[in-house]
Amino acid sequence: MIGLPERIIETLLASQTKGELLILFHKNPGLIDTLEGIARRIGKTAKSIEQDVNDFVKLDILNTKPVGGQEAIFLNLERDREIQTSILSYVKERRAR
Amino acid sequence: MNSDRAKTGIAELDKMLRGGFMRGDTVLLAGSAGTGKTTLALQFLVSGATEFGEYGIFVTFEQMPDQIYRDALNFGWDLRKLEQDRKLRLICTSPDLITGEGASALLDSPTREMNASRIVIDSISHLQMFLPDKGMRLEAYRLVNYFKTKGLTTLLTSESHEISGGSLTITGTGISFLVDCIMLLRHVEIESSMKKAITVLKMRGSDHDKQLREFEITSQGIRLASPFSQYEGIITGSPRRMASERFIELFSKAGGKAK
Repeated sequence: MIGLPERIIETLLASQTKGELLILFHKNPGLIDTLEGIARRIGKTAKSIEQDVNDFVKLDILNTKPVGGQEAIFLNLERDREIQTSILSYVKERRAR
Repeated sequence: MNSDRAKTGIAELDKMLRGGFMRGDTVLLAGSAGTGKTTLALQFLVSGATEFGEYGIFVTFEQMPDQIYRDALNFGWDLRKLEQDRKLRLICTSPDLITGEGASALLDSPTREMNASRIVIDSISHLQMFLPDKGMRLEAYRLVNYFKTKGLTTLLTSESHEISGGSLTITGTGISFLVDCIMLLRHVEIESSMKKAITVLKMRGSDHDKQLREFEITSQGIRLASPFSQYEGIITGSPRRMASERFIELFSKAGGKAK
């Protein structure tokens, strides 16, 4: 069940880091890494991206799974597509008004 | 067709390997930066997927996939399309996730889903940053056995530090003993220009070409040229024309003067 598009858009645009994370995962859908590894790939520290990653996990855009005793983070491609479709129709609807 | 061989798709290299890598073997592709290890490894996967119906997985620790997609397009390889067709999978991760039980958690499912028979790890040197020497050898041993159990023909790229010179170390942690085949790529300076050389140092259970071949990275990928048959000392980084060649040259010059 997708939440309100407004709420999703609000979350997506809430910080610059979120934008950077979205770009990172969209450009590299095969990325599966630790919080530390993901942070390194955008030139940040794990601590500074933790909250943004957690927000995406709550939205189900990012998923986690245990890999080799650590938590690996990856893009939920299906959910990501759903959200994109939902936002697109929301934007179209707004324009039509 | 040699069914026990996994062809690289580079005709001259397959000839050197007497038909390709032995299926299920682990191959170490060693060379310094810029010698073409990643290109050769990618070509092995792309050829497998497009020419031989053998699908593969590319695991990268260093380069980001978007950069790999872009660079591959320069050789005419559309990796995104191959991924959409489920013939190739690019996995970008940190080396510490592939240690311990990580390999199985990360790779079991894509290997099964794609019925993959080839895999590239780019690069095994990156693992060394996360592990002490002894741990590295144990992890490499475990990884090699994991790939063998899955029946995967594996290419491990490994960065050696030399650019051009006398010292030659394949890996610092004894991985060369664990693998079945070792191919060395290196820069050589000949007559004031940098060339690339490739040779097969070891191939368990198979004959192979022992010559050192020149190769180029072209717009279609790797292309092998003729052997460096007129030179010796290339691997040690001090190439010089062989005595017989110098003799022939001097003899020809003397003959020319006499006319």
